[in-house]
Amino acid sequence: MGLVGIATEKILSSFSVFLFLTIILLAVARRISTSVLLFSLQSAIITAEVLATGFQEKLASAYLVGILIFVIKVVAIPRAFFVLTKRLKTVHDVKASTTPSQSVFVVAVMIYLSYAAVHSYGGAVRAPGDSLAAAIALILTGAFLMVSRKKAVMQVLGLLVMENGIFLAALLTTFGMPLVIEIGIFFDILMGLLLMGIFMFRISDTFEHLDVSKLRRLRG
Amino acid sequence: MKIMVDILQLLLLILGAPLVRGIIARFKARLQKRRGASIWRPYVELFKLLRKEDLTPPTSSAVFRLAPVLLFGCTVCVAAFIPVAHVSALLGSRGDFFLLVYLLGLGRFSLSLGALDGGSAFGGMGASREALISSLAEVPFLMGLVALAILSSRADITGMVAWTLHQNIFNISTVHILAFTSLAMVVLAETGRMPVDNPTTHLELTMIHEGMLLEYSGPSLALIEWASAIKLHAMLALLIALFGPWGMAAGGSGWGLATALLLYCAKVTVLMVLLSVIESAAAKLRMYLVPDFLGVASAVSALAVIFTMWVKR
Repeated sequence: MGLVGIATEKILSSFSVFLFLTIILLAVARRISTSVLLFSLQSAIITAEVLATGFQEKLASAYLVGILIFVIKVVAIPRAFFVLTKRLKTVHDVKASTTPSQSVFVVAVMIYLSYAAVHSYGGAVRAPGDSLAAAIALILTGAFLMVSRKKAVMQVLGLLVMENGIFLAALLTTFGMPLVIEIGIFFDILMGLLLMGIFMFRISDTFEHLDVSKLRRLRG
Repeated sequence: MKIMVDILQLLLLILGAPLVRGIIARFKARLQKRRGASIWRPYVELFKLLRKEDLTPPTSSAVFRLAPVLLFGCTVCVAAFIPVAHVSALLGSRGDFFLLVYLLGLGRFSLSLGALDGGSAFGGMGASREALISSLAEVPFLMGLVALAILSSRADITGMVAWTLHQNIFNISTVHILAFTSLAMVVLAETGRMPVDNPTTHLELTMIHEGMLLEYSGPSLALIEWASAIKLHAMLALLIALFGPWGMAAGGSGWGLATALLLYCAKVTVLMVLLSVIESAAAKLRMYLVPDFLGVASAVSALAVIFTMWVKR
């Protein structure tokens, strides 16, 4: 109990720092594969937080959710992304419309905003402020990634990062939603990913590229 | 007693510096499936250069001769600020971190002047590139240190290290991670390592630091090479002292000092392995991407300073 208890506490109190680090690295990542690996790492951190919450609140269902996250978000989705980028034969560049340092400044402002947002009602929730701010920063960064990256693959990834943030916020404020809802959400993600994968193939078939900014002309 | 320990620490930083270089080169060779040269080779090269004749270009002035000496002096002064195994340094509280940063800057400035005075085109090119990189690296370097200074409410390196030593090793704060990220990037840029500058190349288009040394020979070259080795070692020691000082001796017992020294060697080895992995895995950035690299470092360090408002530990 002793050692595991300490580890649990540390995970809940300090792991959000690593989430911030993955956010910043996502802002500078120039390659799709790096971004996917970072997403996988981010999901692994969230898995650890889920397991820690489950241990602390003694929720058996949280372990199941943790295993589901690990299988789906740490292993399956990144693997699917790698297969997808290989099949699409796309260039590795994410085609950012901002330079890396601009992106980092934007992300820094977002992290600051999320801290300011959490700060105002910090006492109302039981969750540690750092982690809640990290959750909000994840949502904002996901949106930013979707807006500023021109590759269609990166827009899917931005959506997934956003979903990570929403999941983390839900976990921190409610200590885990009911299992049925969690499974429903996972099913949603998988379906969404499947649809978007098909959609990306369609884009690359008709336009022979994945650059969203060039989807101006209509083709039959 | 205390001053003896401080002098020994300084000597370790200065005399151990070529060894650090040799070991990194060896690690890199092993990672690239070569056998690699002996780890003592940098010493042999220094001795060889020290015994040779000092040739100067006929157009150069006294600046050319004085630059290596000034650079070496500045670098040794910087090393004298950094605690290694004991929470004190020879110049410990006689100057704050601003002095440390600008002593490094003064060294770079003198070397750039010397390179310009040498009169070759590559010297001027290397000097201008070095000036660009150092002026861009200065902001994240200072801001990262400022964040730590705010946290520990001390301005001297030894005070910051003493403060960090009293913190719980597991309670890493956001500020520390951000400041470490930016300072690690700065160290790569300042010491001219791989993503920014390639320390092994002599190709005209890519070299930065090496371009400034082309006109130097003999003892002057030895001083410059030694100074850059000391700089690398001192920067690694600075990273260790600021972000992982746990295990450092605070008292004066010989036993504590010995374990602290062993721990220091282990930490430096970890950093050297990391450095050689980075150098083997990363490609050198194009010159125009270096400002981006350092811009990221600045953004992260700015974030670290902002975070000191939220995080109070």
